[in-house]
Amino acid sequence: MSTTAQSPATAGAEVPAAGADRFELVREGARRDGVEILHYEPRFPVPGTRRERRIERMIALFFLFTGLASVAFVVVYIWWPWQYKSGFHPDKLYTPLLGLTLAAALAGIGFAIITWAKKLLPHEIAVQDRHDGPSDAQERELTGATMLNMVDELGIKRRPLLKAVIPLSLAPVGLVAAAPLIGGLISNPHKHNQLVTTGWNPANNGGRPVGMVREDYTPVRPDDVSIGGQITVFPGIPGGTTNKHADSPTLLIHLRDADAAELRRNLVPGNHDAMYGNFVAYSKICTHAGCPASLYEQQTNKLLCPCHQSQFNILNNARPVFGPATRRLPMLPITVENGYFVARSDYRVAIGPGFWERPDETT
Amino acid sequence: MTAAAPDTPAEPAEPRAGLLARLAAPAPPRHRWRRRLGTAARMVAALALAGGLYAGLAPSVAAEDTPALSEAAKQGQALYNNNCVSCHGRNAEGVRDRGPSLIGVGSAAVEFQVGTGRMPAVAQGAQIDRKPPRLTNDQARQLGAYIDSLGGGPSLPDGEDLHANGDIAAGGELFRTNCSSCHAFSANGGALSSGKYAPGMDNSTDRQIYAAMLTGPQNMPVFGDNELTPQEKEDIIAYVQNLKSDQDPGGWGIGRLGPVTELLVIVLVGMTLVVFTTLWIAGKS
Amino acid sequence: MKRRKAELAALPGRAASEIDDRFQLATPLRRLFNKVFPDHWSFMLGEVALYSFIVLLLTGTFLALFFDPSMTDVRYDGSYVPLRGIEMSRAYASTMELSFDVRGGLFMRQLHHWAALLFMAAIVVHMLRVFFTGAFRKPRETNWIIGIGLFLFGFLEGLFGYSLPDDALSGTGLRVMNAIVLGIPVIGTWTATSLFGGEFPGTVIIDRFYILHVFLFPGLILGLISVHLGLLVKQKHTQWPGPGRTEHNVVGIRMFPGFAAKGGGFFMIVFAVIALLAGLFQINPIWLFGPYKAAVVAAAAQPDWYVMFLDGSTRLMPAWELRWHMFGHPYMIPALFWPTVVLPGIMFTLAGAWPQLERRFTRDTRAHHLLQRPRDVPTRTAAGMMAVSFYLVLTISGGNDVIADKFRISLNAMTWAGRIGLLVVPPLAYYLTHRICLGLQQHDREVLAHGVETGIIKRDPDGRFFEVHQPLGAADSHGHTALPYVGTPVPKKMNRLGALIPTVRGFFFPVEIVGRPPEAPVSPAVGAAEQRREVGSSH
Repeated sequence: MSTTAQSPATAGAEVPAAGADRFELVREGARRDGVEILHYEPRFPVPGTRRERRIERMIALFFLFTGLASVAFVVVYIWWPWQYKSGFHPDKLYTPLLGLTLAAALAGIGFAIITWAKKLLPHEIAVQDRHDGPSDAQERELTGATMLNMVDELGIKRRPLLKAVIPLSLAPVGLVAAAPLIGGLISNPHKHNQLVTTGWNPANNGGRPVGMVREDYTPVRPDDVSIGGQITVFPGIPGGTTNKHADSPTLLIHLRDADAAELRRNLVPGNHDAMYGNFVAYSKICTHAGCPASLYEQQTNKLLCPCHQSQFNILNNARPVFGPATRRLPMLPITVENGYFVARSDYRVAIGPGFWERPDETT
Repeated sequence: MTAAAPDTPAEPAEPRAGLLARLAAPAPPRHRWRRRLGTAARMVAALALAGGLYAGLAPSVAAEDTPALSEAAKQGQALYNNNCVSCHGRNAEGVRDRGPSLIGVGSAAVEFQVGTGRMPAVAQGAQIDRKPPRLTNDQARQLGAYIDSLGGGPSLPDGEDLHANGDIAAGGELFRTNCSSCHAFSANGGALSSGKYAPGMDNSTDRQIYAAMLTGPQNMPVFGDNELTPQEKEDIIAYVQNLKSDQDPGGWGIGRLGPVTELLVIVLVGMTLVVFTTLWIAGKS
Repeated sequence: MKRRKAELAALPGRAASEIDDRFQLATPLRRLFNKVFPDHWSFMLGEVALYSFIVLLLTGTFLALFFDPSMTDVRYDGSYVPLRGIEMSRAYASTMELSFDVRGGLFMRQLHHWAALLFMAAIVVHMLRVFFTGAFRKPRETNWIIGIGLFLFGFLEGLFGYSLPDDALSGTGLRVMNAIVLGIPVIGTWTATSLFGGEFPGTVIIDRFYILHVFLFPGLILGLISVHLGLLVKQKHTQWPGPGRTEHNVVGIRMFPGFAAKGGGFFMIVFAVIALLAGLFQINPIWLFGPYKAAVVAAAAQPDWYVMFLDGSTRLMPAWELRWHMFGHPYMIPALFWPTVVLPGIMFTLAGAWPQLERRFTRDTRAHHLLQRPRDVPTRTAAGMMAVSFYLVLTISGGNDVIADKFRISLNAMTWAGRIGLLVVPPLAYYLTHRICLGLQQHDREVLAHGVETGIIKRDPDGRFFEVHQPLGAADSHGHTALPYVGTPVPKKMNRLGALIPTVRGFFFPVEIVGRPPEAPVSPAVGAAEQRREVGSSH
C-alpha cells in the first residue's frame, strides 16, 4: 500500500485485475483530453482486507436501508389512513411519515454513493490544462476575414438605397411583434372612472344611495354597533361583498361622545357632513399599498394596517401618524334612511394607493 | 187657578218647614271660643282623614340610602375593597391615571379580566398582560355580581361550553373578517402599535373568548350582541377552539406564523444540513 | 450455454458500436469522463440550487396535474370541515383539494414549496461564495450576470408560485404588487390595468400567473441554467491556490467516477433534506388563511423570505410623497415607488455591474482562475458584508411585526430601529469587516515569519518564559523565516502540519494507527518531487 505517486511506468502495477495495459490506455486517453493523472492510488490494492469488507458492509447496509425505507414509503403512501379528521389523530402523521421514509430512502442512497466515492474509489489527483485565453491569433484572423467577407458580400456599403431603407422599414416590424401582446393586454385604467369610483357610487344602485350591508348582505342599523365597536360593511349591491368590488370595504366605527366631539372639531371641509351622530365610516383600503387597514384600537382611536404598519388617527380624519402611508383614509358620507345606514354618495376622494395621475384632494 | 203673569217674579215661597227651615234660619249666636275650637277640630279631622287615606292608599316608597346586595354581590364587595379599590375607587368610579370607571362594564368584563389574571393588575404599561389568576372563578363571579349591581352591563350566558352549537365554517368566515387582522389567522396573536398587542388564545376558555368579544377589553373593539349575535359568537368560539385542537396535517406547525418561521427553518435546518453535507463530501482546499 | 453467456457479455460492446456508428460519441464521451473538477466544499453550493430546481420541476409537474388556476367562484365541499360551504375561487378550491383530497398531495405541495425556499437560499449562498472569492472576475463576468438573472427570475417565479393558490395571505401580497405597479410614474396605471385585465383583482391574474409560472419562467430559468453550466464547462471551474495549481490548469478529480459519484450522492442528500423538511415542517398552510377577500387580512402578513427584503424596505420607508402640478394637472409619485421599484433596481444593477466596477477600481484586466481568500481583498469583502448587512436589516424588518409580538418589543420602536439600523449597520459592518480582514492578513504573515505556536512553554537559564514556535521553513538564528504569502491558508496549529500521528476515528474514541507516515491535510499529496513538472499549454 503506497501513499505517494508512482512513476507512470510502474503505476500500472497498482491497478487491480484487467492488466497494466488498460490503465496505460486510460492515461493515454486522458492525455489526449489534456488531463494528466498525477496520482492514482487504489485504496485497497490487495483484495479481501478486513477494512475493505467493513466498508463494503456499511455501504451494503445503506443500500438495504434505502430499500427498506422505500418499501415503507410505498406502504405508508398506500395504506396509512390520511383523510382529514379534526383534532389529534394518527392519520395526521401521514405527511410526516412520508417525509421521513422518503428522506431515509434518499439519504441511504446518498450516503452509500458518497461513502463508496470517498472510501472505495481510488484516490486520484488529476491536472487538466485550461487552454484559456484568447483564440489562436491565426484563427482570429481567419475568422475575422470570413466575417468581413460576409459583410462585403452582402454589399450593404455598395447599396446606399438599401442602407437607408432597411432600418426605416424594420422599425415597424418590431412593433408588429409587440402589437398583439400589448394591444391585446392593454386596458384603459380610466374606463368608467374605475380608479376614482367605488361600489358606493349611487350609479350602481339606480341613482339611489347605496345601503350598507354586512358580509351576509343584511343591512346595518345604528344599534348594531356598540360604542367602542366597529363593523366591516360593504355596498348593498349585487356582488358588493365579493372581490368584484375590492375597493369598497368600509369600516363603520361608533365613537364615544368625547371622541366624536373631537373628530367633529377636526373635520376637514371635505368631510364636514360625512359623519352621522357619533358614527364615522372610513375606507378600509389603506392608502399606502391597498391592504385592509383593519386593526382598530378602540381606546387610542388608531387604525393600524398590518402590512407595513401605517397608523391612522381616527379622530383626525384618519390622518396617517406613523409608517409609510402619506394620505388620509377617505371618509364615506353616511346617513340613516328608514332606520338603516346608507352611503349618501361615493367617497369624495380616490381610495387606496396613489398613482401618477391621481386627482388632488381638494381639502 | 188663573195663570200667573210670566215675568212677574215668583213671590218667595212660604218659609219651608223642617230641616230646610232650620238650615235656612240664621244660626244661633255662639261664643267665639267655641267657634274657634270647632274650626280647629274640623281642621284636625280633615288633616287626619287626608293623611290616613294617603298613608293607607298611596304606594309605599322605599327611600333607602344603600341598596340591598345579593349574597354573591356582598362577597364581591368585600373582594373589591381588598383588591380593586386603590385603582378603581371606592365606588368603582375610577381613579385618574390609574384605573377606569367600572360603572356599567358588567359582570362579563369582570369575569374576563379577573379570570385571565389580568386584574388585579400589578403594573401599568402599554397593556396589561395575562398572568396566573389571583382570584378563583367563584370569586371572579362574585366580583362580577357586585360590579353588575353598581351599574349593570353585559353578562355572559350560563355554562362552561359555549360552542356546542357553533358552526365552524360560519365562525371561520366571521373570524377572518373581524378577528384575524389583530389575532392572526392562527389565533396566535399579533402586534398592535407602540407596544400593545392582541394576545393569542392558547389558554382562552369559551367564556373568556365570549367575554372579550362582548366587552372589548382595553383596545379590542366591542362586538355587542347586535353586531355579533350570541349564535355568531358561538360560531366564532367553535372555530377558534377547533383551530387550537386541530393537529397540523403538514407536520410541525412551527407556530403557524408564516414565512418568518419558514425562513428560520430553511436557514437553521435546511441550509445547515446541506452545508455540513458538503463539508463531509468534498475535501478541503 | 457458454455461447449464450459469451454473447451476453459482448452485448454492451455491440450496443456501443451501433451507437457510435451513428453519433461518433467515442471522443466527446471520453472527454466528458476525463474532465477535471476541483474538489472543495464551497464549490458544491451552486449544485444545491440545481438539485432543488430539479425537485421543483418534478413536484411542480405533479401539482400542475391537479391545480386549476381559474378565478371563478365555487363553494367548497371537500374534506376540510372548517371551510365547507365557503365561497372561494377555483384556484383556491383546487389547492385545497390537492392538500386534503389527493393522496400525498399535501406532501407534494410541501416538497415543492420547501424546494423553492432552498433554491433561493442556495442561490444566495452560492452568490456570496462566488463574490467573496472573486470568482466573478474575467472571464466569468457573463456568468455572474446570468447568476444575478437567475436570482431575479427565481424570485419572480416564486412570487408567481405562491400567489397561485389565491389565499388571503398571498392575495394581500398581490394587492401590494398591484399598488406597486400603480405607483410607477407615467405608465403605472396603464400597466396595472393591462396586467390585471382591469381594476384589482380582476378575473384573469391567476390564470396569467399560472402560465408565467409553469411555462414561461421555468423555460427562461432552464435556459439560463443551461448557459450558466455551459459556460462553466467551457471555462472550467475556478480553484483555490495551492501546490501545483496555476492560472492555467485545474487540479482535482476526474468527472467519472469520482466527481459524478459525489455529485449524484449529493443530489440524493439534498433531495433527502427537502423531503425531511416537507414531512416534518408544515409550510404555507393555506387552509388557515382562507380564500382571498379584499376585506380580510391578518397580523403577521409577510411574503416568502426571498421577497421579505422588499416588504422590509416598504415598512421602513418614511411617509414621503411627491406631489406637484404640471400643465394644470396634478401628478404624484407615491412613497411606495422608492422602496419597491427604485431600491431593488439599484440593488440588482449594482450587483450585476460589480465585476465591471471592480475592474475599473482595481485596474485589473487580466483573466483569473485562481480564487482569492476573502481576507486578502479586504475592500471587496467589506463592501460585500455591507451589502449583506443591508439585506439582512431589510429582511428582518420585513418580519418586524412578528418579532415585535413574540419578543414584546414596541412595533413603532422596531420600525425606527430598522430605519436607523439601515443607515448605521452597513457602514459599521464595512469598518468591522475591513479591520478583521487586515487582522487576519497580519496574523497569516506573522505565523509565516515566526512559525506556529506549539503551546510548549520553556524557561531559559535567565528565568524568562517563552513559547516554543515551530517554524514553517528554514529559520535564521532568530527563528524568523522568509516565506512569502502565496494565497493559501497558513497552518496555525500543530496538527495541521501533520506533526501528529493521524488518528482514525473509532466509534467512541480515536484510534491511532502507529507506523503510518503523517499526511498533511491542508494540501493533498501531490506526486513525488520527480513527478512535478511544469504543465504547459504546449500540446
